[in-house]
This record gives sequence, C-alpha cells and structure tokens, in this order.
Amino acid sequence: MTASSYPEISFERRMSTVEFRVDSDRAHITVDDTVCRDCTTRGCITACPANLFVPTAAGGILFNYEQCFECGTCYLVCNEEGAITWTYPEGGHGVVFHRS
Amino acid sequence: MLIAACVKLVEIRPLVDPLTGSVDPGREVGCSAADRAAVEVVRRLAESWSARTLLISVGPPRAEPLLVELAAVGIDAAVRIDAPRGVDSSTVGRLLAATLADVGADVVVCGDYSSDRGSGSVPAFIAHHLGAAQALGLVEVHTEGPGSLRVVRRLDGGRREVAVVDAPAVMSVEGSVAELRRAPLRSVLADAVPVEVVATDVPLSVRTLPTRAFSPPTRVASAPTGTPLDRVVELTGALVERTPPRTVALDPPEAAGMILEQLRSWGYLDEPDPA
Amino acid sequence: MSGTDFDVVVVGAGPAGSAAAIEVARAGRSVCLLERGPSPGSKNMYGGVVYGRILDTLVPAWWEQAPVERWVTRRSTMLISGDQALTVDFRNPGWGEAPHNGATAYRPEFDSWLAGVAVDAGAELVCSTTATGLIREAGQVVGVRTDRPNGDLRASVVVACDGVNSFLAKEAGMYPHDDPSNFTVGVKETIALPRHVIDERFAVRGDEGVDIEILGCTGDVPGGGFVYTNRSTVAVGLVLSLPALAAGGTRPEEILRLLKAHPAIAPLIEGGEVVEYSAHVIPEAGYDMMPELVGDGILVAGDAAAMCLAAGIWLEGVNFAIGSGALAGRTAALAARRGDASAAGLAGYRSSLESSFVLSDHRRLRDAPHLVMSDLAQRVLPAVACGVVEDVFTVTNPTPKPGMRRIVRQRLRRHGVRLRDLFREGLRALRTFG
Repeated sequence: MTASSYPEISFERRMSTVEFRVDSDRAHITVDDTVCRDCTTRGCITACPANLFVPTAAGGILFNYEQCFECGTCYLVCNEEGAITWTYPEGGHGVVFHRS
Repeated sequence: MLIAACVKLVEIRPLVDPLTGSVDPGREVGCSAADRAAVEVVRRLAESWSARTLLISVGPPRAEPLLVELAAVGIDAAVRIDAPRGVDSSTVGRLLAATLADVGADVVVCGDYSSDRGSGSVPAFIAHHLGAAQALGLVEVHTEGPGSLRVVRRLDGGRREVAVVDAPAVMSVEGSVAELRRAPLRSVLADAVPVEVVATDVPLSVRTLPTRAFSPPTRVASAPTGTPLDRVVELTGALVERTPPRTVALDPPEAAGMILEQLRSWGYLDEPDPA
Repeated sequence: MSGTDFDVVVVGAGPAGSAAAIEVARAGRSVCLLERGPSPGSKNMYGGVVYGRILDTLVPAWWEQAPVERWVTRRSTMLISGDQALTVDFRNPGWGEAPHNGATAYRPEFDSWLAGVAVDAGAELVCSTTATGLIREAGQVVGVRTDRPNGDLRASVVVACDGVNSFLAKEAGMYPHDDPSNFTVGVKETIALPRHVIDERFAVRGDEGVDIEILGCTGDVPGGGFVYTNRSTVAVGLVLSLPALAAGGTRPEEILRLLKAHPAIAPLIEGGEVVEYSAHVIPEAGYDMMPELVGDGILVAGDAAAMCLAAGIWLEGVNFAIGSGALAGRTAALAARRGDASAAGLAGYRSSLESSFVLSDHRRLRDAPHLVMSDLAQRVLPAVACGVVEDVFTVTNPTPKPGMRRIVRQRLRRHGVRLRDLFREGLRALRTFG
C-alpha cells in the first residue's frame, strides 16, 4: 500500500476533535482490577475506541472515563463477570458529537 | 432582600478557521461556566439568607430558553432586558443597573468574563451606576450573615486578597467558585419561572460596509512643461546643490558627540546638553 | 390510571424516540421525551445514510425541512483485496429529486430536527436527563427514575428507545443478550474538505452525494467499511466485530489508518483535516438478538430492540428506528386511551411490527449478518473477485487469452475454495437475499 502524503494524526490529536463535557464528580466507568489480574484476554485494551484502558506493570488495569464515547464496547467484550461497571454519565455530561 | 445573578447568552462552540482566522460563532448557545457559577452562588446565598432571587440578562429573545433553563434550579424570577447582541459593555452595565435599581437588588453576582471575548467590565459598570461596593474576579464567596460577605480575590503572583463586602454590592466570580446544581425534574417540566421582558430603545448596532470598491474622484492634472531632460533632472534632483555625505570612523563616545553636534546644527536639538 | 405525570414516557430522543413521541402527541395523549445528551442526537453516530421513505407519512414533504447534507445519488459497493479494489458503482440522478431515497446528514442536526417535530406536535422534551431505572409496581412498569432531583416520572407506558446499550430493557429482563458476538463497533472520522473538492473527487454536483460500502478492508477483524459525503466533509468509517477486535490485538484506529491509506481511498480524502472522531456500538445480529419487544407497561424500539440492519449491501438503522418507534408510539397511545398497559394490552406493537417492513425485513435477512461476517465474504470473495478481474484485464500477449472459466477456476483454487462450498454458500445467500 502506498503511504498517504499526509501523516496520520496522533491519537491525542484525534481525541481532541471530540467534545467531552466531563463530569468531574463521578466516574461512570469503574473497573475492579483485582478481577483483571486473572484476565488473560483483556479485550478492553485493544477494543476500546477511545483507548481508555491501559495495563499496569502490576498486572492490573488503569482506566480513564473522561474521554469515553459511551459506546459500551468495554463491558461487552469483558469476559470477567463484574470487572467493569458501566453506566451512563449524568445527564448533560459526557461525549457530545457534532458531525457524526 | 433580593439577590440577582446576571448572565449572558453566548455561542459556546465557535469555530475558528485556522487559515483565515475568521470566526464562525456556531449555533449552539449557552452561557459561560462563570455565569453558571454566579447563578449557583446566588442560589446558595439566598438559601442561607432566606432571600429572594432574580436572574437577569441583556439580550435578544433567543436568550429566553437559557434563562428558563437556568431559573429551573430554583430562581424566583427571570428578566430579559431586550437588546440586540453586540451592545457595548457600558450600555449593558447601564441597562442592567437601571433594572436592578428598579427591583431593588441588594447583592448582584456576575460571572467574571463571558466567554465571547468579554472584558469583565460589565460588573464594574453596574457597581458604578448603583453606587454599590464591588468585588471582582472572586475565587471564594462566604457569607458572614445576611447582607455581609467575606470574599477572596485573585491577585497577581498567586496572592489572594480577602475582603469583607456589605450590601449593596456587585461581585463577579470565577467559574471554579461553584458548580451549578441540577434543576429538579418538576421545575424543568413546568418551566416554572416566566421570563419578564423589559423593553429598551437600544438601536440595533449594525456595522455598515461599503458594497463597492473604493474609487477616488478624478482630478485634473496639468500637462508637464519643459523638455524631458529638465523633467528628469527635476524628478531626480541630480543637479541640486547639496552637502555631500561623509564617512567618519570614530570611537563610540566621540561618534555620539559628533551625531549630537550634527543634529544640533540641523536644528533637531534646541539646547546644548547640560551634561 | 391515576397518579401519572404523563400518558407515555419515551426514553431517548433519537429517531425511534422522536417518532414514538410524535405519534403519541398526535393521538392527543401527553408524552414526555427524555434525552440524556444536552440536545437530541449529541450521543448518536451512524454509518451515514438516512432512508426517508418511512418519514413520508410521519412528516409529509420532510425533504423540504430536514437538515440534509447531500442526497445519495451514487451508491457504490467496493471489494478490497491487498492494494486492489473492485467497485460496482451505481448512479441514479433520480434519487436527487423529491421524494428522494437516501440522504446523508449529521445526526446531532437530524435528530434535533425530528425531536423538534415531536415538540411541535405537543411532546415535552427534557434534555440533559438520564433515565437511571424503571419504577415498577407488582411487575408492571409505571415510570422511570431519572438522575435529576425529584426525578421520578410516572406514566402509563414507558417506551424504551434508549439505544443499543438499553439499560431499561435489560432492567425489565427483556434483553438477555450481552454476547459480544452479536455486536460490532463503528468508528468514524469526519474529514473536512472544501465543497468543490468533494464534488470533483466524488464526481457529483450540487446536493448530490455518494455512499460507498466496502468489504475486505478490515484485516483480520471481520467487518466492513464505509465512505460517504456530507456537504463539506467526508466520513470514513469501519464496522468491526467485537470479539475479533478484542482478541486480535489491532486497535480500531490502526485498521482505519490502513483503510485511509488504501490507494482506492487515499486520493478521496487527501489533504483533509479530521474534524471529529466518533464511535458507537451496533446491534449487528439483528433478528436473532432481538429482545422481548413488549412487557407490562413497557415497549422497546430502535437500536434498543436491535433494529439495525447490517446485511452487507444494506446498512440501515435510522429508518427501522423511525418505523418501530412510530408503531410503539401508536400502540402506547392506544393503550393509554384504553387504560390497559399490560403486556396483553400492548401486544398490538409486536403484531404491527410483524406486518410492517421492520420485522419482515429483519426476519427475512436474519442470516445475512452471519453471511457477511463469514470468512468467505470477508476474505475469499474480495480476493477472488479482484483476482479474476485482474486476470481478465491483464493483456498477456503473446500468450493467447485464457478463457473466463479457466481464470475463475484458477483463482478459486489459489484461494483454496472448492466449488461445492461456493455453491452451498451461494445457495444460502440466495435464500437469504432472494
């Protein structure tokens, strides 16, 4: 495949195109990473379109909820019962699409 | 006692063209975080002082949904002073102050800046017209009993100023002071607070632009006289007597002295330097 | 029923919810339309085309008022294999004229418009409000809880149009399918380009637009791609199978990068600036994953009821959402008038869906998602098709041209496809799509 003459944008730049009205009081995703330590698949790390899940050196999962598309991919691919608790953020908060 | 919050309708998602710098204001409207904080401060003060509350804005009719939405958090009354967008800050301050004086507001809380290139001057204008104390750019607001406030103001260099302000007072707060509470569902459903409209005679501020390219009026130019050679000599100044330029190489102090002497000889310096 | 705030509460002001609210309000019943985003559509994202025929009865002459970007007059299906691409391109200028066929639109604008139609019809729209759960009395759903203070809202019927993750349908026990293999995730870049550049690159004029569906562009992950035009942006996106994505180790934006760099796609978007990235889960499995559609006091419609048709050459969702939402609204209004909101009283919803395009299309095409996601469709079909066309058009002088039959046989053999399997799958496809 020929490379485009325009370089691909960085992931940070990509995410900066999206508006997130972050609820600073409550995380709408929580991860019980004691469960993740025994997880061998860790699908959330590759599947999350916003790249919110990061493995830690200690074998757990570090997550962030601020730039969440609220798509639900993470809890759907999670095969460890109860590792990811996922709700919608408070009304008016979270992702706001404009040209989707 | 009456406490008023002033808010401004702004476009919350303007787009700037990176090439031309032109700004597309966008269609989504709302108010700045500072304005929302002001509404919350008013709500909190009203609770602790058992005071009545008023929400007020200068703007066009499309500001009314914003007022209704904000008032749903438990504001007693809402007023829109009818004026077009783009009215200058001193006029906005005058209009707000007139209505606030009419209704007898004791404490007025504004956001420190509106997010559309605001200068933060409206609260100062209001305070001036009302003859009230002013405390602007606050980062903390505490009550010291009805009508009395202890406030913290941001100063340069990370310093803080603590002030005690008594009503009548005008304050402006930063967005971080308080987060606006959520309106109860019943208030949202009921649109409980009707917006009262105050009419004004502020003319629509329209910037007019010429629609044709500027063309200067024609002038009559007299025909040139003399030979072409004369005209060239005249235009270039070739044969006019003049002092030829000279080049000197001197040490800096002497060079400076010579420059001064020369300037004096041309009449640029009136008196000799006393030193 | 006493003690209700509204006859009907509709949760979610997407196309399904707004259509439901329009029908309820027009039937003269009170309806509250809840939306968790700051405005309708702000949480929504899709693969690009709204098919408007279903709107004809709901909003006559909708094309004169809907916020449409472009009318799709050029519909392409592209098979990608390596750096080759085979495109079947269909143009129909007739779709550019009223009453039109498909339109591209920005969902935040389109959904806000449709919710506005509901408000004009008399619905009460409440934004920035998340429904957090159901209120139930003796097994009957009698309202929803919201995250606002004093946020309980009681109604005779709740219509759950709360999207693919439908927590309300799950709470009501109607939606047992959380199997990731039923879902795909869509990721999309909206890329800004000057309008005349889009017109030139996609060879369209004025309001005409293009929709391209792509197969074979997703590497090891089963799925598909799409490219469509807005007025001054081009959207490029992917639909990716969740289990394979989770297992494969390749991130979605990397697969998207490869698609954007493909020689068939790169010239279309070169020099454009990404102005928005978005993602959303799609209920891919359609009919086979549908929840119970009717419960005591509750109806489910739209993506919440998995009414999204992802059948390869057809990618439709908004029309099914509007269709199911409208029928749910009609049933709910009728039930509120009769005062019977039990599952039996609401059963008309299911039967009206069955007799409409919503369930008949889904039932007929229930096998299509499996076919499209099969290895044959994902890898073999694009490779064989591109290979055959390559052989046909490569001039091999002085060697004489091989016959068509020989080319096909050779290509099939190279990809290890036996004619028997091909016939079997072809027959299956014929049964599904025929």
